[in-house]
Amino acid sequence: MADLEASKIHHENHLLLDQSCLRLPYELLRKNFRPVHQSFEITAKHVKEELLKSANGSLNGAASPQDVVKELDQMLVKMRGLKRKLAVAVDEEDRLYRQLDARVAHLRELSAMNTIDDVKYEAWSRQRLDRLLIDYMLRHGYDASATALADERGMRDLVDVDTFVVMSRIRKSLEAGSVQEALHWCNENKKELRKMESNLEFMLRCQQYIEMMRTASPAKMLDAINHAKKYIIPFQDTYPVEVSTMAGLLAYGPDTNIEPYKSLYSESRWHKLADTFVDAHLKLLNLPMTPLLHIALSTGLSALKTPACHGPNNNTHGARSKQQQQQQPPSANTTPTQTTQPQPQSQQQQQAPPPPPPTYESQPHQHHHGTASLTTRVCPICSTELNALARRVRYAHHSKSRLLEHDLVLLPNGRVYGRARLEEYAAKSGLQPGKVKDLVTGEVFEWEGVRKVFVT
Amino acid sequence: MASAEAKQKLDALLDELAKAHKLPRLSKAAQDVDRIIELLTEARENIAGAMDPHTTSLTMTKLQNPVKTAFDKAMDGLKAASSSHKKIGRALDKNFPVKELPPDDDEVAKRVPLINRAIAMHLLREGQFSVASTFIDEVQTKHPRRASSRSVDRMDEDDDDDNDAHRSPLANGAHDGENGDYGYEDDYDDYDQDMDQDEDEYDLSSLHSQELQDRFAEMYRILQQLKAHNLLPAIDWARANSAELEARGSNLEFELSKLQYVWLFLGPAVNGLPDDEHNGLSGALAYARRHFDRFQDRHLREIQQLASAMLFAPNLAGSPYHATFTLTNAFTDVAASFTREFCSLLGLSAESPLYLAVTAGALALPRQIKYMQATRAKGTEWTTKQELPFETPLPESMLFHSIFVCPVSKEQTTEDNPPMVIPCGHMLARETLQKLCKGNRFKCPYCPSEGQMKDARRVIL
Repeated sequence: MADLEASKIHHENHLLLDQSCLRLPYELLRKNFRPVHQSFEITAKHVKEELLKSANGSLNGAASPQDVVKELDQMLVKMRGLKRKLAVAVDEEDRLYRQLDARVAHLRELSAMNTIDDVKYEAWSRQRLDRLLIDYMLRHGYDASATALADERGMRDLVDVDTFVVMSRIRKSLEAGSVQEALHWCNENKKELRKMESNLEFMLRCQQYIEMMRTASPAKMLDAINHAKKYIIPFQDTYPVEVSTMAGLLAYGPDTNIEPYKSLYSESRWHKLADTFVDAHLKLLNLPMTPLLHIALSTGLSALKTPACHGPNNNTHGARSKQQQQQQPPSANTTPTQTTQPQPQSQQQQQAPPPPPPTYESQPHQHHHGTASLTTRVCPICSTELNALARRVRYAHHSKSRLLEHDLVLLPNGRVYGRARLEEYAAKSGLQPGKVKDLVTGEVFEWEGVRKVFVT
Repeated sequence: MASAEAKQKLDALLDELAKAHKLPRLSKAAQDVDRIIELLTEARENIAGAMDPHTTSLTMTKLQNPVKTAFDKAMDGLKAASSSHKKIGRALDKNFPVKELPPDDDEVAKRVPLINRAIAMHLLREGQFSVASTFIDEVQTKHPRRASSRSVDRMDEDDDDDNDAHRSPLANGAHDGENGDYGYEDDYDDYDQDMDQDEDEYDLSSLHSQELQDRFAEMYRILQQLKAHNLLPAIDWARANSAELEARGSNLEFELSKLQYVWLFLGPAVNGLPDDEHNGLSGALAYARRHFDRFQDRHLREIQQLASAMLFAPNLAGSPYHATFTLTNAFTDVAASFTREFCSLLGLSAESPLYLAVTAGALALPRQIKYMQATRAKGTEWTTKQELPFETPLPESMLFHSIFVCPVSKEQTTEDNPPMVIPCGHMLARETLQKLCKGNRFKCPYCPSEGQMKDARRVIL
């Protein structure tokens, strides 16, 4: 029962990670529209006025036909400029609508499912994982990987490669010590940044000033003062403390040890700028501030983690990987004689050496949780990929026992297994009747010494 | 029910958005702008052709209204495009309002190198070898100083250093000469011995990844062939590993051979193989004679069925064997079992751990948000260091270890408080047992029997 509930898809909550998937195309539609609208209005006003002026000029004889042709040419230049901008925006809009369609189709697949046991869920969830991976790669600046993965999976329309590539270009330029691209971006988004009360532009202007001061050449310092007058002083009311600190900087050279001036000259300020920019960029587009993969992972790792995953008996990792390297190749052909000569199963069963759980049996202390078993699966938290990552996260809270097997019995060595699995393994191992073999350690006991245990 | 309502909302939103591509777009305005350019160009040609004041003033006067109208129309087009956007925005706000996500988890955000490693391994196991190598190269060469997430940067200034320390092993590269290694030792100072060991293994585990890459390459070669309906490489692999597979209780080898029989049985019309004695009924029969012997013991009944189907060959669809010979999902199913067994023999979970973790995360996230909101409202926080303060129920398929919760204390057993079995066979947590003890004896809370502490035994589930 509980399981049915657990595997049900709660549509209102299942899409928490997918909010920006639908939101971003909308935000970008708006962002795409604004500048076009603005330049249309400017151009329309201008051309209409000019047109009227030219007409009046030609009527009252103030303008010759040549003048009018010239004026018309200028209007055409303006109009063609507008047309170019509009054409770019039209393409972008088409692309965004196409993305929106693709995303709607993607989410509709989920909407058609009711439980995660639906055969289609896995494919959907894999696609979500790919989306999150791409988001992660983009946010960490691994653009080529993100693009490659998106192309490989044919899911360009489900992810926002272009948006993040722009972001990471500007971020990288800041980290490389250039403010130009970031300033250009500030200019494009002036209004919105002002609404957000972002201090990005101020910070960038200050950095320009600091860089001029760093040269310590009188000519440059003069430039710095002019720059400050033009770009920094206007912020006096908003950032009074910072502005006066900037003024104070005039008195200190780049090799000063006096704070706060020393840290103003610090190279790490560029990184702070890059952070500020990324923050502003994400906020402007209403995007989550952290990679969604981090959020999904931190919750998911905890939900899957059990106290056993990093228990002292589970020193799988490192130790295990080493062991595997040594053992894998042989393990693939440890029993060539058997496998190459087909023989009736009954015979084989008697003479067959106890079929070893491949990698673990020779080192029985390895892993007491099922990996070596007949049918259980390797836990994702115990698997090398995530083990170290999950080490410090909290494990899941359970208020009820959840057992993988039923009809549990206790072996004399203190290990508990399901009776059915032990019986199956005993039969497979060709044990004599009345004997039982530990699935992990390989110890053999009498069935008589096995006791039933009760989990209430 | 609430969730039914939520589904309706989602559907309503999707319906609304699906209609969006029919809404007016900017292209309409673009046409009007073209029209204006046309008008202006025409007038200009007109005037330039005549070059007399009369034509000029006449043309210019006549030009005013059409241009104005075209501008108005273009403006309407823009407005319509904008209102399309707003419509989408309203649909989103109404049916899909933004919900706050939890803040970045430091434990995860700090471990970017480990995440990178997990991603690289995931890509390899998914068979995305070229993406994986792009990723490994990019991570290695870019030395991205920082992620876009704040916590990464703020946690330790030498973030890039510990990147190096982790990164180099990932792709089997040499350690950077910089101060990388030191930075990271400091960083993990608080880690226990166990962790240190782990770190020492990094160089080895890099070899391991190399090894993994080869293994997965083999797996994908076989899967590719399976996809192309060629079962032979998979059968060869299963035969080479038949002892291990049998030990796991897997009958993959038989399943593959059975499918091969069916595949041949269906003949050239279906399998597209050459129409000779190795194909069709005779081919299937020959195949069965050659290979089914070894399965006699375990799968006798099925083999008999497969053989009997020969009699029905002319009218298979109407026969009782119809289902056995329908291939709808046969190849995908067998490919899935193959992948599972292949990974298990490598000691890796069959599913990508990253996939499971992210799926589990999506399932558990609502609980986390609920908890976040509740604690914020109360201004309290439950500080259990090691255990999540809220339940995150996952389906059976995501359960990998047995969980024992002491029926008395309701606590999950751990290494420090392990499960104990008492003489009557009931299980309790050790701390519970200690509390139950009067002197050296206790009474079982679930049955009338009594026991002594020395008779209680620790069990491993």
